[in-house]
Amino acid sequence: MSKFAVLQFYALLKREVLEHRNIFIGAPAVLALLLLVATAWVATQIDQIQLAEGLRFVSVLFDGFSPLDMAPFVMLLAIPFCLTLCVCSVIYLINTLYQDRKEMSVLFWQSMPVSNLQTVLSKIVAIVLVAPIFYVLIIFAMYLIAIAWLTILGIISDMDLVGIGYLFLAAIASVVLIYISAVVTGLWLLPFVGWLLLFSAFAKKTPLLWAGGVFILVGFLEDFIFGTQFLADQGKLRTLDPRQYLIFDFQNVIEKVFNYDTLFGIVVGSILIAGAVFMRRFTD
Amino acid sequence: MEDLILRNRYTLLVVTLIVYMGVLVAEGMITGREARVIEFENFYFELDDFNSIDFEGFRETRTVNENTRVDFDDTDDV
Repeated sequence: MSKFAVLQFYALLKREVLEHRNIFIGAPAVLALLLLVATAWVATQIDQIQLAEGLRFVSVLFDGFSPLDMAPFVMLLAIPFCLTLCVCSVIYLINTLYQDRKEMSVLFWQSMPVSNLQTVLSKIVAIVLVAPIFYVLIIFAMYLIAIAWLTILGIISDMDLVGIGYLFLAAIASVVLIYISAVVTGLWLLPFVGWLLLFSAFAKKTPLLWAGGVFILVGFLEDFIFGTQFLADQGKLRTLDPRQYLIFDFQNVIEKVFNYDTLFGIVVGSILIAGAVFMRRFTD
Repeated sequence: MEDLILRNRYTLLVVTLIVYMGVLVAEGMITGREARVIEFENFYFELDDFNSIDFEGFRETRTVNENTRVDFDDTDDV
């Protein structure tokens, strides 16, 4: 790949981030702020002695344990961020190509030396690889503030802070695991990503309704013609069991990425993404 | 062929979905995936337990009711 192509792709990614700041940065930042305010409010309602006891319990709990073993517990704090990322991803994917046509900016981008394939790929990379970076950075900032607050509280209460040090290391490990989980989830749900992009490029109005409606219609037709429900089976397989794509241990990464179902999802997802790339030529 | 597929957005959508479903169904049949996920069954209504005697009774009752109505109409009461 030439240096020019890399710069082109970087510019496209930068454009996605700038045009969707609310989804990439705004939503997790507001959520982190809300969580910090809620935690501070709860802390003010608890007696100072009880708070110090709670901190001592946390410190003892994490003291001496491997940060990698404790990281999954810290990951639980990121559940609201994961749900926010899921909702924001759906909003982004269903609107991104549709919005380009609606604003007619698609004509501008097609006049530039950028292919439809590059544009669609930049949108996938933006949501699968780039958006989780912002979420993870904001989660880490939230952890830092929380740990700094716990440290100050520990110093005031004259406590042993070794456990807080282990908690900090567990927080770092959890942040890395959250990022890897987000990327693996993106790959695992690639058929879903492709489906949303296809209808974002196709629909003249209400792309989300088109995507949902056609899913039901195609599922019905499959049952009617073949007597099977493989589409519904794929939907169930890829959404209902989070253990398929959430990673709590670094040793599982290779196993989760290079398994048959993930690779098959990438193949069928690519069919839909190819459809979205070709669909982008219809700009009316 | 290419002209046919890329004639308009609808043909492209249909072809994409046909290819997608074709791969999905073929893979499912080859690997023996679970073909039935949702069963449209009403657990409160089972045909095997359907009581045909009650249905016969219903028909007889209906016949009796209709005869009664005919009798009632024949009385010419206002």
